[in-house]
Amino acid sequence: MASYSSLLPTAARGILSSCRPALHPSPMATFLPGLQQVRAASQARKKDQKTTAKKKKGPREFKQKDLKDMQQYALCDAMRYLRAFEVGREPTAAKYEVHVRLKTRRDGPVIRNMLRFPHSVQTESRICVVCPPGTRHEKEARAAGAVLVGEQEVFDAVKAGKIEFDRCLCHPDSLEALNKAGLGRILGPRGLMPSAKTGTVVEDIAVRVEMLRGGTVYRERDAVIRVPIGQLGFTPEQLRDNLRATIDQIKKDAAGLNDRITKEVYEVVLSSTNGPGFSLNGEFKSDESPDSAVLQGV
Amino acid sequence: MVNLFKRMRKLKTVSLLNIQIGAGAATFPTASSATKEFPAITRLHLTYARKIYGGHQGARHFWRNCLPRLKYYNPAVPMTVRQTDQQDGPAALTIYFSERASNAATLLAGKVTDEHAPKPSSAETSVVLDIKDLDHKDIWTKVKNMTGAQEIPASAEQQAELQKLEQMRQQGDKDRVRIAAIRQAKADQERMLQEARGEVEKLKQL
Repeated sequence: MASYSSLLPTAARGILSSCRPALHPSPMATFLPGLQQVRAASQARKKDQKTTAKKKKGPREFKQKDLKDMQQYALCDAMRYLRAFEVGREPTAAKYEVHVRLKTRRDGPVIRNMLRFPHSVQTESRICVVCPPGTRHEKEARAAGAVLVGEQEVFDAVKAGKIEFDRCLCHPDSLEALNKAGLGRILGPRGLMPSAKTGTVVEDIAVRVEMLRGGTVYRERDAVIRVPIGQLGFTPEQLRDNLRATIDQIKKDAAGLNDRITKEVYEVVLSSTNGPGFSLNGEFKSDESPDSAVLQGV
Repeated sequence: MVNLFKRMRKLKTVSLLNIQIGAGAATFPTASSATKEFPAITRLHLTYARKIYGGHQGARHFWRNCLPRLKYYNPAVPMTVRQTDQQDGPAALTIYFSERASNAATLLAGKVTDEHAPKPSSAETSVVLDIKDLDHKDIWTKVKNMTGAQEIPASAEQQAELQKLEQMRQQGDKDRVRIAAIRQAKADQERMLQEARGEVEKLKQL
């Protein structure tokens, strides 16, 4: 009975408790108090739900599995398997990918950045730059290797459905014109719309273009960062260099985030376009792995 | 990322065991293990058409099934595959021997030419095998006979693993039936209750 008396204001409870015996007059209507009780209990539960709904958010950290159950591989062994899975594929089309699992909270900032590999992964990415025509920036962007540069011509091309670039940058001076042109609907879903948040609205266009041409954008999603890190024809040494660069960069990003937020690299998985994922143990090669010279080319 | 056990199971079954044992799990003679009869293999090239009609099915299956195993056991041998749109074109496997072709290879060689296969270098001799209308197992037998590849039998551990997986699969089938029955019973119960409640409502309305 405490459950329903607790629902009432204290004053009312005092009054009630004084006349409590009157509420249970006889054993005659045995089912009635039962019913009342049930109702009161359900009300109480509802109220509980309301109050706890705000509190209940699930675990604050991503669940981490114990890696000792996981079989882990040396880089060369994983490469040998992956190369077998990718046999006969176009060597430029098939790529090695790395999935970096982080130990992190569910909320809070995520890592998103760009990185330049010691050995370029993409053959060449085409870059579009939106900047006021006839300025210094336009010349610089063209010199740095941007494919499409300008303001109105870019907008027209995009509206006509000709999107012949993989990246799009914007100069702050042109940002207003870009937003007015209403390209968000076309570029947004493709992830090409420049915005200050993604770091694609920048002053020094030329530097950024340079970086983008050999760089890869990555971001953390559900505590995992997935990046392509090499072509299938790479030697194990090249792949190791790229992998090292990636991990170093991620660690640097994690350290630079905030003092209170800690992110750690928990697991590194090497995969490929058509292959399964191999958890890496950090070794370069094991006793059984073949000579690293044979793990290259097609 | 997906749960570890799921990942491990998939990796072990679909991938690793499958790539280590089966048709094509064999090593080619290398420069060090070459004999007079069977010279070393330097490259492989496979050409077939995109669709399976016209006898290209076996060739594709060979690529899907045997080539990964061959590549796993012979990581140093480059293997290329070319998929064409010419359905009436050749389905051919070109084997490149260092120096000279083996006798068996010259006997079994087909009369097709494959213009997509790279030209053999001066130190190589290539033999083209016609694989149109052949099953991938037949192709593998032919390749084995031509090259003198040494098959690698499954080890006791791998056999045990295979057996275990087979058991798991059978148990899974059983469990699936069992769970389906339980779910069905629960659904029936609920439906019955629903009907009963409906009748009470009707009675009340009367």
